[in-house]
Amino acid sequence: MPLQVFFLRRLLLTIPLLIGITLVSFIIANAVPSDPVSANIPQNAFDNEEIIAAFRAKWGLDKPPHEQYLTYLGNLLRGDLGVSIKTSKPVLEDIRQFLPATIELASFGILIGMALGIGTGIIAAVWRNSLADYLTRSNVVIGVSFPIFVLALIGLNLLHVQWGIVAGPGRLDFIMRDPPNVTGLFMVDAALAGQWDKFSNAFSHLILPAFVLGSYVAGIIARITRSSMLEVLGMDYIRTARSHGLHERRVIIHHALSNAMIPIVTVIGLSTANLMTGAVLIESIFAWPGIGRDAFRAATSQDFPAIMGVSILIASIYVLVNFIVDILYYFLDPRIRVA
Amino acid sequence: MRYHLRNHPMVLVGLLVVFGWIVVALLARGLASHDPLAKDVSHRLDKPGENGHNWGADALGRDIQTRVLHGARITIPAGIAVIIFGSIIGVLMGALAGWLGGLWDELLMRITELFMAFPTIILAMAITAALGRDIRNAIIALVIVWWPSYARLIRGIVLEIKHNEYVDAARCAGATGPWILFRTILPNSIAPAIVLMTLDIGNAILTFAGLSFLGLGPPPTSSEWGSMVNAGLDNFSQWWMWLFPGMALASLVMAFNFIGDGIRDIFDPRLRRD
Repeated sequence: MPLQVFFLRRLLLTIPLLIGITLVSFIIANAVPSDPVSANIPQNAFDNEEIIAAFRAKWGLDKPPHEQYLTYLGNLLRGDLGVSIKTSKPVLEDIRQFLPATIELASFGILIGMALGIGTGIIAAVWRNSLADYLTRSNVVIGVSFPIFVLALIGLNLLHVQWGIVAGPGRLDFIMRDPPNVTGLFMVDAALAGQWDKFSNAFSHLILPAFVLGSYVAGIIARITRSSMLEVLGMDYIRTARSHGLHERRVIIHHALSNAMIPIVTVIGLSTANLMTGAVLIESIFAWPGIGRDAFRAATSQDFPAIMGVSILIASIYVLVNFIVDILYYFLDPRIRVA
Repeated sequence: MRYHLRNHPMVLVGLLVVFGWIVVALLARGLASHDPLAKDVSHRLDKPGENGHNWGADALGRDIQTRVLHGARITIPAGIAVIIFGSIIGVLMGALAGWLGGLWDELLMRITELFMAFPTIILAMAITAALGRDIRNAIIALVIVWWPSYARLIRGIVLEIKHNEYVDAARCAGATGPWILFRTILPNSIAPAIVLMTLDIGNAILTFAGLSFLGLGPPPTSSEWGSMVNAGLDNFSQWWMWLFPGMALASLVMAFNFIGDGIRDIFDPRLRRD
């Protein structure tokens, strides 16, 4: 199958899914017993029907649900996600402000998770039943079982409060001003502006939350890497490669790992969901001004436009990542190309 | 059974820890030295070991150990409730999709996929926020998030076994559709769902505690472990306030995961980690 056809077919499949995501968010935000009016109007205005009516009219809460949904969908296609009830700013503007912080955190997190997960997974598979293997296997269970918010607090207490190795919550020290905004990723922006003190400060703030987030997905990646590598290492072509006298490192990296990558890539794609779950918890602990914290703020203040905007965004990121994973299969697995 | 336990010693450890926590949950009133809600501001933030507070006291002088022991009464039933209700809905949806096939299958599976597209906590947060914050609503939110994986699993199995000869035999014997589905097909497809339940329960407990940690579960006064950790944030240097409930949570989830891993190995040799 040519790449274009494969790409187009997968792309078409995501469209109904994306529309469905908007529908689910809309239903949750609207078909529930709670009333956004009571959450967003001061208590002393509860009896004032004029204020309540004005509020309902302003946010379109007085129209029937299907009209609200179609209006929302139409606006969404034009890039208008509505206005946040709580911040009074367009939801898209809030998202644009908060997204880079989460991208910076999540991409560092997934890199650390991949390095730890794939690395320990390979070691555990190559030296099967060794001490390293047992340690990896028990670490996997501990890693997936340990509450991420407790791990974050332990890390913060030891590494920041007690030993002072890393910086504390926030993206930069309080006395520092943000680097000139280009990408919104502080480390990249600081590097572009040549402000290396800000670069190292941003890194010092980022490393602990990213590590905690990474350890959350590392366990899952390590488990699948180990089992996938074990399966491949038992194949005939590995024995053939070894009997050809290839260096063991070449056998493992080129012949085994590249063939074991499909399930690993799948799990990395699926881990984005875990990563976003982790981001909500981590961002609220580390006062990280990202999408996760915004989602939490929206959820606790029943800010429905923001809840819908953020959940649609996060679910779409998840769908997009898994779309990319499917495209990667095309390159990783020649069988898909032939089929 | 003894053979399996010998080969999977961690299952035994997990069973012991879970059993221990269940006993604690049942006997919390008798085991605890204090009242979990009794405030004693003269002993606020007592360090572990001070004034009869073995694990210290919180900002209102409440005994941490007592509250952790009582917390088991909330967290364990909540996790089990999520798994039981989630799996019942999921199994029914999956069985119907697989059995009815055609348009129904397509419809039910697309709905399932939609729910799976949302990261668990985001969807649960939105639902809890909408329903209102309390334990019951947190459980309802998690059930709504939890059923799709069961639906997908059971649908696949039902599709596989509905063409088996014993199903044809039941049909020839005059059995009606629902009878075949509930008496012939479901009993034969339930084992993988039980394995998934044991693998999942730790995760359900973690997510429930995560919701409480965010303040979207039980009220802040509750001794639920997640909300206790959250309460410790305001007194971060008083590590005993968040570490003990956190470790209680970790030990319980770890124990469930050891059991789940072992049971998966025992029930399904194809999925064995080795």
